[in-house]
Amino acid sequence: MMSKPFISISIRKLAISLLLLVSASASAQSKFFSLEKDSIPLFRGFSVSFDLVGLAMMELSDYGQYEGALRINLHDEWFPIAEVGYGKASHTDDPVTCLRYETAAPYFRVGIDKNLLKEKHGPYRFYAGLRYAFTKYKVDLSRDNFPDPVWQWDTGFGVKDEPCSYHWLEVALGADATIWGPLHLGWSVRYKRRIAHKDGVIGRTWYVPGYGVDGDTRLGGTFNVIIDI
Amino acid sequence: MDRRFRQILIGLSSLVISACSSIDCPVQNTVSVQYEIRDKSGEPLSITDSLSVITERLDGKYVDVTALFNSDNVTLNRLIDKSAFSLPISYSHPEDILLFCFSDSVKTVVDTVWIKKNDIPHFESVDCSAAFFHELTGVKHTTHAIDSLVLINRSVTYDVQTVHFYLYPKTGN
Repeated sequence: MMSKPFISISIRKLAISLLLLVSASASAQSKFFSLEKDSIPLFRGFSVSFDLVGLAMMELSDYGQYEGALRINLHDEWFPIAEVGYGKASHTDDPVTCLRYETAAPYFRVGIDKNLLKEKHGPYRFYAGLRYAFTKYKVDLSRDNFPDPVWQWDTGFGVKDEPCSYHWLEVALGADATIWGPLHLGWSVRYKRRIAHKDGVIGRTWYVPGYGVDGDTRLGGTFNVIIDI
Repeated sequence: MDRRFRQILIGLSSLVISACSSIDCPVQNTVSVQYEIRDKSGEPLSITDSLSVITERLDGKYVDVTALFNSDNVTLNRLIDKSAFSLPISYSHPEDILLFCFSDSVKTVVDTVWIKKNDIPHFESVDCSAAFFHELTGVKHTTHAIDSLVLINRSVTYDVQTVHFYLYPKTGN
């Protein structure tokens, strides 16, 4: 009997707080989402970009990705974006664990960036953005037979074509600068959070195409060559 | 504006460089089967006889596995006055055969235990050793000293807190 009024008071307080918060932030939100009023048209064209970090990773390590993106420029403020890539890992004969891990699959991201600079139509842009990303991939995992430590039977270990999937969100902070004509160069730093996954029977996966090494770090980055078209 | 933009670029570069990698293999990385000895009323029971468990290796030799995961509780490969213990499980073999040897000062009574299981390769990372988890599918045993061996939990993983078998000894052993 005592808990009922407590709950109703709590709910009332929460509702009032939310109403105040919504009304206070409504004007700020409408300002954030509205386009700056000037003579520049809404649609400012497309741009394509290619990531060089994934390419360098592919050359220098056991995994990496080829990645490109198509971005729409809305008034130099909002940039809906679709990113497509092909991630690949080939970790063979680990000197310590003797494990072999191989996967290769495409991945997809969709999202939007907002240019946060006051001077939106200048040669520089500073973005904050959000992405939803998804990949479906198969894992080959194996190692040479090894003896059971107690019974000493030869033991095989591995799976082939184990189906896995991964969904994640990325918060992006980025910057780019016009170098010459339609050519821009830019960085982006990504904070990634997994939202759903399927690792198959093996328990976990290691490299996830587009995400990177699972459980390693939630930060990632790109260095993009961008061309306005 | 140029200076501010340069500062932003330097900040972002530092963030990317600082995103270093780490190796996260589980600290508890042994996979073993947990047994608990119980009396008829279901209460934990410390056996007064000594218990040692042996198994036959590939080369035909018999090895004592009592002390493998119970080194703190075992004296001269014998478990005495204990109500719980852990035993190894083979990486990939459809059935493990264990000999439970109950001894007092006069005699030794041996029971054979057959444990059927499915073996599941378990992977954490390429930096962590290969492991197997298991699903116990059945158990049978002789009944010289063991009254019954009851399968409680089928899943054998890194979790050493979960009891898999209740062992009920015959009264008087």
